[in-house]
Amino acid sequence: MIDHILTLLIAIPFLGAIAVAAFPDNQTGTPRLIALVTLSLEILATVAMFALFVQDQPGFQLSEKVDWITLPIGSLGIVSIDYAIAVDGISFPLILLAVVVLFVGLISSWNIQKRTKAYFSLYLLLTGSIIGCFLAQDFFLFYLFFEFMLLPMYFLIGLWGGPRREYAALKFFIYTFFGSLLILIAMIALYLSAIDPVETARAIGLLQLEDLPAQDIILQVQQWMADGRIAPEQLVHTFRFEYLADTGNYIPGSLLNALSGFYILDIPVRLLAFWFLFIGFAVKLPVVPVHTWLPDAHVEAPTPLSVVLAGILLKIGGYGFIRIVDGFFPFEAQYSTVPLAILGMISIVYGGFNALGQSDLKKMIAYSSVSHMGFVLLGIAAFTAEGINGAIYQMVSHGVLSAMLFLLAGVVYDRTHDRMINHYRGLITVMPRYTILTGIAFFASLGLPGFSGFVGELFTLMGAFQSDNMHVLIPALSTLGIVLAAAYFLWTYQRMFFGSFWYKDESQSHLLTDLNTREISLLLPLAFLALLLGILPGLLFDITGPTVEAWIEGLK
Amino acid sequence: MPESAYTLPALLLLGLPFLAFFALWLGGRGLNKVAGFAGAALTATGFTVAMLYAQPDVLHTVRFEWMVIGSFPVELSLRFDRLTCIMLAVVHFVAFLVQLYSVSYLHHEKNLHRYFAFIQLFLFSMIGIILSGNLLVMYIFWELVGLCSYLLIGFWYQKPRPVWAAQKAFVLNRIGDAAFLTGILMLFYYIGSTDFEVLSISIDTLQPGIVTAIGLCLFGGCVGKSAQFPLSGWLPDAMEGPTPVSALIHAATMVAAGIFLLARISFLLTPDAKFVIVCIGMITMLIGAVKATSVWDIKRVLAYSTMSQLGLMVMAVGLGSWQTAFFHLTTHAFFKAGLFLSAGSVIHAVTPSQEDADFDPQDMRNMGGLRKALPITFICFLICSSALAGLPFFSGFLSKDAIITEGFVWASGFGTLGYIFPIVIMFSAGLTAFYMTRQLWLVFFGEKRYHASAHVHPHESPAIMYVPMLLLSLFSVFVWFSLNPFDATTGWFMSFLGVEHPAHIGWVPVAATAVTIVSIALALKETKAENPFRVLSKEAEKPGFSLLRQYSNDFYFLAPFSYIADMSGKIEKYFVNAFVDAFAKWNVVLAHLLGWGDKNIVDGGIKLTVFSIRSAGQSVRSLQNGKIQSYFVVTITGVLLLILWLVNF
Repeated sequence: MIDHILTLLIAIPFLGAIAVAAFPDNQTGTPRLIALVTLSLEILATVAMFALFVQDQPGFQLSEKVDWITLPIGSLGIVSIDYAIAVDGISFPLILLAVVVLFVGLISSWNIQKRTKAYFSLYLLLTGSIIGCFLAQDFFLFYLFFEFMLLPMYFLIGLWGGPRREYAALKFFIYTFFGSLLILIAMIALYLSAIDPVETARAIGLLQLEDLPAQDIILQVQQWMADGRIAPEQLVHTFRFEYLADTGNYIPGSLLNALSGFYILDIPVRLLAFWFLFIGFAVKLPVVPVHTWLPDAHVEAPTPLSVVLAGILLKIGGYGFIRIVDGFFPFEAQYSTVPLAILGMISIVYGGFNALGQSDLKKMIAYSSVSHMGFVLLGIAAFTAEGINGAIYQMVSHGVLSAMLFLLAGVVYDRTHDRMINHYRGLITVMPRYTILTGIAFFASLGLPGFSGFVGELFTLMGAFQSDNMHVLIPALSTLGIVLAAAYFLWTYQRMFFGSFWYKDESQSHLLTDLNTREISLLLPLAFLALLLGILPGLLFDITGPTVEAWIEGLK
Repeated sequence: MPESAYTLPALLLLGLPFLAFFALWLGGRGLNKVAGFAGAALTATGFTVAMLYAQPDVLHTVRFEWMVIGSFPVELSLRFDRLTCIMLAVVHFVAFLVQLYSVSYLHHEKNLHRYFAFIQLFLFSMIGIILSGNLLVMYIFWELVGLCSYLLIGFWYQKPRPVWAAQKAFVLNRIGDAAFLTGILMLFYYIGSTDFEVLSISIDTLQPGIVTAIGLCLFGGCVGKSAQFPLSGWLPDAMEGPTPVSALIHAATMVAAGIFLLARISFLLTPDAKFVIVCIGMITMLIGAVKATSVWDIKRVLAYSTMSQLGLMVMAVGLGSWQTAFFHLTTHAFFKAGLFLSAGSVIHAVTPSQEDADFDPQDMRNMGGLRKALPITFICFLICSSALAGLPFFSGFLSKDAIITEGFVWASGFGTLGYIFPIVIMFSAGLTAFYMTRQLWLVFFGEKRYHASAHVHPHESPAIMYVPMLLLSLFSVFVWFSLNPFDATTGWFMSFLGVEHPAHIGWVPVAATAVTIVSIALALKETKAENPFRVLSKEAEKPGFSLLRQYSNDFYFLAPFSYIADMSGKIEKYFVNAFVDAFAKWNVVLAHLLGWGDKNIVDGGIKLTVFSIRSAGQSVRSLQNGKIQSYFVVTITGVLLLILWLVNF
């Protein structure tokens, strides 16, 4: 079982989803209990993975690979789709984050009363797809999980959401589907252009089936292909990340071979594919101007879904950007540093200004997410070790903090079904513990040193400064984001919590009671996590550092 | 952590207040009675530790690696040197007295334990700034100090104004900090380190233009924290906080951190950067001094005065003499803290015994003639304001005189126009003497105006309040800094700071004294007028022009910011969203077209496949409404079709 720990990690939630769906009992209690057991098992599996993972070792670990589909299609070579999963220093922290956030989301779903069976089975489907996304090493597999994630999300927002849930769910769906389409097109182009040198070596008999591939054989296959010595029928096309990232594997004269020099509308095809992939993931991240689904989705989503959405789903955009966009098109990425960084800067500043203008608490937090994820884009665009490390760090940090923020927003919404900031005043009098925890979350999010937000912002900005491809003015202007963060968080804090107690609807004000034990037990660990990561950032950088270093060296 | 003789004092100095913060904060209201004394005792311990380990001639550093990113280690380092000796002594001393004072001043507070916890957190952060060996560490503590300032200004959170003032302070500071951070990151980029030792060696390798930019960015931090123009607006509002906090944070220590920063980085300030700094300092100094002559709130006068004095210190750095700036910082810390504590004692005395909404105990128009009732407070106030006004035989005279002298020395090298600066300093010194005389007269002389409220019975404060005031006044006298009351350069303090070529111009002290005396005479002449200082006209205090909107529920925040926020909201609504909607509508139209094509053109085989899989999906359909499966099937089919199509293409 230890050999297949990663498969287990994907399988547990899916099996749990089936168990929930198959369980005949339609009572409210059972599905959530099964879900809890499932996610507890998932945590155990994650702990096992943690124990097996070697931190100092760059590159992929715990790899598993099974040939899934191999299909010769005549003169077009051989289709090869693998079930390949592995974990490295880039995906590892995000998987840890995913498990934590999903667990928190589950606990905060505890009070769901409506159609619990469907809810929890969808929730577990979502869990499995998210984990699958981070583990997949084959583009096809990744895409399956990536797409599959949409479904539970769509229904979870559309069925359990707020008053405008259908609109929000549809908007979410259309946006992400549009992004997926672009990814799909680029994926197919990639597939047609690249080969799997190992399988090809086997197909032409250079390598025996049972032999392990050696580096010189791969180089030989690549050389032969470049010389045109391999017949097209024998070329094994692939979706595997590791082969797509190597320019030597691109078939001469194919669409995406760097030397073919194809243009569409005077734009190099490779650059076009890069931008297609980028936009696809930019929708998820989200990057201004394709971010407008986010505030709507957050406002309408039930609290646990907001937590998952901000805590994890956005990170898949960032992860895909690092792994796929930068991984397959490193030169295009460095060529496009300036526009990407400017988009990041715009996200930071524009998101910040919009957050300042919101009167809905959840919308304010949603726009702050846009702003904070802008730092991720800025760090990735920089294409430096500090920038990428900082971006991963910022994703984890934002995952923890946004989960906390949405839980906090859920607290008042649970009590009064009212999210308007101006409808509350002086909550500190009736909800002192809530006030303190909100204060911690707000200050941590606005980048107070000692909490994780500061480190993430510091290193994405530092990475951006270190980048030789962009002007220092871009990160310098991005620091406006930290001013705005202070402004919108503190202003909200001041309006809702201080002064004398007042609630718009006096007959309802007795509902505003302080945090209960369940809420505190969710929020305190998250606050502690943000503090721990802020004081000992090495915990995370030790995991990401070696991999990112090796990864960047390999791409430059 | 590596072995170092100074690890222990660093741990003690930072650790004690930090642990005290947690203990007092989590300890609850049961600690209200002891919190102040415990805090003061800890601070006294800190003072002892600082003095025991004071070794000004040797530089000690404590370093440890915080993290490694890739191959780039990020180091946290602390240092003990000459500057830290003085700053540690000043901060601990003032903090000790302020805590004792607070025990009595705030004894009726319900959340007193929290107050002292925040004070300890502040001390932790402030000591962190003082000990920081590189700019990154300094930035970290810099932000934490901002947090403490926020918490302490907003200590009375039930009242809207203090909370508003706290937030204004934090946000305005953040603007400066953003510049500060930019400067730090530029140093990381160009030099790869922000350690003061490394910087002092390798800064010369950079182009002067870049060094100027970095210097000005770092100066941004000082502009925020030391309330320089244009970010100065928060300091007067910060007076909404408890008075001892104003004394400790907004007069003696935190606001001086900006000057401390400049002293630390003085070597990387180019002449261009220094010129900008001089100008900013001068503007701040003048604004502060002019405003101080017209406000009525006893604390606000002192706040504007602080702002003005900080401007003076910044100017001194810009004039190339961080030593005199530091000298003035030290003397100012004592006499200004003394003034604030005395002002607190006055407020304490005239606060009505019963609630009286119309009576503002901080308004100087409600005071007057208090010297009989508050003799000790009066003496303390008199001594400290003499020091601030720059009368001979007081510490303020020495440090201000040193700065003016530096100004004339600098101007002789700069050219004729340069003489504007020292002359403006003399003018502003005159204003200082004027407004301090005005304040003294309004509070302690003239008619008794506090009878506006029937419940005011002025009384001298208890010993635990006036002893700290007396001690601070004691340190406002010249002997502690130089035995020659007219020439600081012969004193130990300046030579301790390592001034190599002390400048002394004989006529400067004479001229400065003359200006002060003339100003005092003018102010005294005004007291003889019919309506001196317009004290009898009860006009409301007019808010000056501010980039920040004045306090009210609707008009609130940074005006330009809220404008942009509105604008971006509109863009979001009418442009981005509208565009997306239109795009989506067209997609729907397109989808219908495609759907028609799909239905009529794609052959039946595909339909059959879809149908068969769909019927297989029926069994699990009860899960939801069936769309999941059909969607998924369509997606997969679509992918396969697309592959087929591309392949054939």
